Amino acid sequence: MTTKDIGPKNPLQKGTEDAIDYVDERSGVKTGTRWFLFRNIPEGTSWFQTLGFTAMVVFGMQAITGIILAMYYVPDTEGGAYKSIEYITNEVTWGWLVRGMHKWGASVMIIVVFLHMARVFIWGAYKYPRELTWVTGAFLLLLTMFMGLTGYLLVWDQKAYWATVVAVNIFASAPILGPYIGDILRAGPEFGPATLSRFYSIHMLVIPGAIATFIGLHLYFIVRLGISEPPWSKRRLRIERDEEDARREAARERAKALPGAVNYPSTWPVEAKESAR
Amino acid sequence: MKPADKKAYDKDYAQAKKTGKPFFPYAIFKDTIVAGLVVVATIILAITVRVEVGEPVNPSTTDFVPRPEWYFYFAFELLKIFANQNALTPVIMATFMVPNILIILLVIWPFIDRGPERRIWKRPFAMGMIVLVTGFLCYTTYLGANSPGGVGSGGLPLTGLDEAGTAGMAVYMANGCASCHMVAGVGAPGPGPDLTNFGSKGWDTAKQVAWLKAPNAPMPSYASLPPAELESLANFVNGLGTKYK
Ligand code: HEC
Ligand code: HEM
Repeated sequence: MTTKDIGPKNPLQKGTEDAIDYVDERSGVKTGTRWFLFRNIPEGTSWFQTLGFTAMVVFGMQAITGIILAMYYVPDTEGGAYKSIEYITNEVTWGWLVRGMHKWGASVMIIVVFLHMARVFIWGAYKYPRELTWVTGAFLLLLTMFMGLTGYLLVWDQKAYWATVVAVNIFASAPILGPYIGDILRAGPEFGPATLSRFYSIHMLVIPGAIATFIGLHLYFIVRLGISEPPWSKRRLRIERDEEDARREAARERAKALPGAVNYPSTWPVEAKESAR
Repeated sequence: MKPADKKAYDKDYAQAKKTGKPFFPYAIFKDTIVAGLVVVATIILAITVRVEVGEPVNPSTTDFVPRPEWYFYFAFELLKIFANQNALTPVIMATFMVPNILIILLVIWPFIDRGPERRIWKRPFAMGMIVLVTGFLCYTTYLGANSPGGVGSGGLPLTGLDEAGTAGMAVYMANGCASCHMVAGVGAPGPGPDLTNFGSKGWDTAKQVAWLKAPNAPMPSYASLPPAELESLANFVNGLGTKYK
């Protein structure tokens, strides 16, 4: 540690510092954290660039509320699923709030992810070198929508049941692979108890795992490549103005070098220059 | 982008980074504020607009619509656009071609739009795309939000209903056919075709039962209905427009 020793250290503080140093020596967390937090980002970074982080936080909120819901939810088609949802909504302390946050959070996440994508698109932030950041993001969008699709069935009410029957039929109607995809989603040729457990595990384990993985990749690209600068940041506008000036200047120079051009003293009135040409 | 453009970008970005500021605390500060506001907004929504528990899954209730979450309305509307068309634009367009083309476009977009220009007003093609796609999504979501809701248990305005016809109509209403098919102006205008004059096709009972057991997607299979109900339903549908008008 760089702090100067003035007298014996508080043993607790010394112990903590030693422990951190011990872990850092082996894992590099301190260096890594410093590298992550104190990397430079362009000066003009805007409020619109907070939407990706917001999507991440909403995903975290969905994970937490989802884990709480999973403590009470029963994937049972014989009324158990429906009753457990009723129980969460009406009996469990704060259950209605957790369910409400999870349900609204799904819509909020879709909206935030779309807005984030719109900002990336409008800024051309997917261009070199960030093409693969966009590709991982596109998969995140699809996975987020799949999350909504699979979660919808879990309440096992009429509306959700039939909407999901239709949605699965849509997948099953695809040529060649369709029937297999349909069987995989339904866990057989018919909608039934196995379908619900399958949707439950896809919604709780498969997609969240995939989203976490893709967020990891997405972040790796972002940190490695740096967050892009707004195409109309003050710095960019200044450079563009300078370039424009330089271009004009060059054009003027070229005009002067043309045969027949006369070098007039700059004090001459403009009209005189024009008529003399 | 040409190698020279890439080099110019790298150089420019390095410059921006050099004259920039650290991620912590500047970016983190803004991020936390926006994310915090969004989480608070979600909690407020959850408190003010309570989620309900819908009807339990039960084939004998009469009014339900296969309605997806609002962010899938566009897909259902797409189905309706293609459902009542001829053989040239079959349902496969809506269920397979269009969505997959959109998804592929989404994934490979950075490899299509590769020019060095980043200012949106100098990228008319990209600008056109975003206006088109946003407009389409907003419009179809709006249509989905305003499509007819539950059909109710009132039955269909048909004449000539005998005892068998009434029984068949009850099965029809109980199984959500009306949420995809229209008969005599009652029911959703899609994704299934209008069945008002279906009888004129002259299907027999066996053909209709076979269809109901194994229809084309996205229509669900009704193979799990009791055989008596299936038969009664088949006779009812086959009589639409001829016996029952
Ligand atoms: C999820 C929506 C949906 C539901 C629910 C639904 N259908 Fe369909 N139905 C369709 C679609 C879409 C088609 C067109 C399929 C095709 O032609 O490939 C169709 C086609 C049909 C046809 C054939 C029409 C023709 O001209 O070939 C009949 C008959 C039919 N449905 C009857 C029914 C009956 C009876 C029910 C209720 C038991 C029902 N449908 C429920 C969507 C639905
Ligand atoms: C679960 C969904 C997503 C999460 C959690 C997420 C997260 C993030 C974060 C934290 C950033 C940093 C900059 C910022 O906040 O704007 C970012 C940037 C980026 N995202 Fe996403 N994102 C998601 C979805 C998407 C989607 C759907 C796309 C596009 C198809 C996308 C493409 C990009 C690109 C290209 C960047 C780099 C932009 C730049 O450097 O300016 N992301 N993302």
